[in-house]
Amino acid sequence: GRRPSVVAATILKETRSSIPECFRHVPMAKRVPTSAAHKDVHPAVLAVGQQMATFAIKDSIARLEATLLAFRRVIESYETPKGNSLSRHFVPHVLNPQIEYLTECRPMCFAMGNAIRLLKTQVNKFDIDTPEDEAKEGLLETIDLFIRERISLAEFVIARNAARLINDGDVVLTYGRHRLVEKTFLRAKENGKTFGVSIIDDPYDNGGQALAKTLHAAGIRVFYSPNLGGLRANVERASNVLLGAEAIFANGSLQAPAGTADVAMVATNVNKKVVALCETINFDRERVAVDSLTYNEIDPGRNTAESFRLMFDNTRDRYISG
Amino acid sequence: MAPSQAAYAPSLEKLLKSLKSKSLEASIEDLIFLLKRRQVSGDECANATAHMLLQVVARSKWHDVDQLLSRIQSTGSRLAQAAPHEPVIGNIVRRVLGLIRDEASEDRNADEFMSESVSDLQSLPPSAPSHTRPTGATPVRPALVPTATSLAVSKSMFNLLSAAETADSPMTGASTPISQAQPTSAHALRSEVIDGIEEIMDEISQADDQIAGFADIQVHPGDFILAMLPSPAVERFLLKAAAKRRFTALLASNGSYISAVGEAPYAALRKKLNAAGVNTVNLASNGLLAYMPRANKVIFGAKAVYQSGGLLVDSACCIAARAAQEYSKPVIVLSGVYKFCPFDPSEEVSKVDLGNPMTYVSYGDGPAVDALEVENAVAEYLPPELVDVYLTNLGPQTRDHLGSIISDHYKPEDMGLSLLINEA
Repeated sequence: GRRPSVVAATILKETRSSIPECFRHVPMAKRVPTSAAHKDVHPAVLAVGQQMATFAIKDSIARLEATLLAFRRVIESYETPKGNSLSRHFVPHVLNPQIEYLTECRPMCFAMGNAIRLLKTQVNKFDIDTPEDEAKEGLLETIDLFIRERISLAEFVIARNAARLINDGDVVLTYGRHRLVEKTFLRAKENGKTFGVSIIDDPYDNGGQALAKTLHAAGIRVFYSPNLGGLRANVERASNVLLGAEAIFANGSLQAPAGTADVAMVATNVNKKVVALCETINFDRERVAVDSLTYNEIDPGRNTAESFRLMFDNTRDRYISG
Repeated sequence: MAPSQAAYAPSLEKLLKSLKSKSLEASIEDLIFLLKRRQVSGDECANATAHMLLQVVARSKWHDVDQLLSRIQSTGSRLAQAAPHEPVIGNIVRRVLGLIRDEASEDRNADEFMSESVSDLQSLPPSAPSHTRPTGATPVRPALVPTATSLAVSKSMFNLLSAAETADSPMTGASTPISQAQPTSAHALRSEVIDGIEEIMDEISQADDQIAGFADIQVHPGDFILAMLPSPAVERFLLKAAAKRRFTALLASNGSYISAVGEAPYAALRKKLNAAGVNTVNLASNGLLAYMPRANKVIFGAKAVYQSGGLLVDSACCIAARAAQEYSKPVIVLSGVYKFCPFDPSEEVSKVDLGNPMTYVSYGDGPAVDALEVENAVAEYLPPELVDVYLTNLGPQTRDHLGSIISDHYKPEDMGLSLLINEA
């Protein structure tokens, strides 16, 4: 089944040729028609891939969760062919095509990479003679535990700890909309804190507006800036800054939605506390990035010279206080 | 503003055409309305102010220099108050006031004994006549040091008070000797001042071209130039550079184009640049730090340059400048000399200027209207530390030389005009 990926390659070529040359090394999400996918790709994975390519599932943790749940379905429906063992056959022949397809839809985020690595080690741990049912059961358990521990529990703990950083009367500044930041605000409100939130939004994304509506519904006072204009004045008015990160590199720098770095830089320059929230599953222990052009993605909606946009930027660790 | 409305909306162009047919007072009122509604903004302000002051000189009734000065002052401060966010208006008023003082003293020199005229031949700008006011009242003329404002305040205190209390008071104290000038010279003075104002108007219109003349020195082959919200001056600069150099222009906007008519901003500029063989990329991004490792230099136009070297710029330019500083990339600011303000912004001015948030948040979105306290900053003060080069029509300047340029262009008596605006 090599033929379908040739089709995918030509699609790839066509869309990429419009990217300005100086940014051509940066990967980009793209829509791979389901018909062009590898024949072994599981329907559940196909769906997740499409959702990722269209940014219906967007942030790293949501992608991780969707991927794991889809893989769960893959494992459930898996039957080891005769004369093979799960620990030898599953990864190269079943799991890898799924991963390849997902990567083609949108470059994998670090959390997905970490999770898949974990899953593969788990498979390799099984003895070659482990009965299929037992192995499948073990894998499903691993995935469930993973979701519970690294996603649900992490979210709970982070929100609880971060909510403690918010004091009565504070105005907390944030950029865009991040799940953890939103949870933190709601949690702090539940704890009975009275505070305001100043949202700086990205006009190309507008996630901040949705956040503003949620917070308003929860009874939190919201100030809203549609872009980075007047950033310095906004930051000076705020008591501290709470940012959500997409990933953290080995050198401590953040990968976060484009614009985060600008906010963090200004906040540090006027001596405000900058706190970045991120689950440990998003940490990368190998990769190092000092600028935003090393690891990034191009916004597939804006990938031509007419209109070009990088998804993320890189915040050096010196701009993060906690 | 919808394009269909634009055809009916009053504009500067229409106003200038109708100058002849309207009374002076009516045209001043019209311009004030345009300024208040920000239908005249940015670089147009300077031109509009010069036009209007020209009309004041040409058409209002005045018999001696003091009357003329006070008329210009009152009209000028009315215009400036209409648009406090445009310091350029005040600059032009000051330039014209200085011009009148120069011409008046020249006249008087011709009439009285020549020995008294102490010509202070400093490095004066080409446009201004090379005579300064003879030292009639004060024995020694204070040196024109960059920080001349403190001296100027004491000198023009009387002038200030009298002008502020009523606009058409016949006597303004600062130029006591001149006030005895004969009415017969009024006619000659009128035409000379008009010539002078026309020179200022020429300077304004040529500034962009002159700035562009320095383009090939600043832009090198293979450069990645990040142009933030390219203003007409920046466009001309890039096009001039494109004629000689192959570089890449990263044109950045701050999202205000999103809901504007067409998708691609700066289409005309990009077409011209591409035709000259220059690659262009439109950056559609909020933050600019992500692109800064790629860019070599950052260029944008200033709305005004203050005495300290600080700037009044579109708020997006501040982001660009800060990002450039983070990666130690040079920031080049394009500004005609007429945008140099002989004062520093007061606390109030240095705050941000807020604009219409309609382009970002739709009123159709009910929950959003409820939930949001929207603040859309459009103009902002940029501290001088973030600027490396000030590229003017007189050539590239550094922060240290701004003071001498300012003192070359304005009379110490007129520097206090800003105070007058704030008081009134």
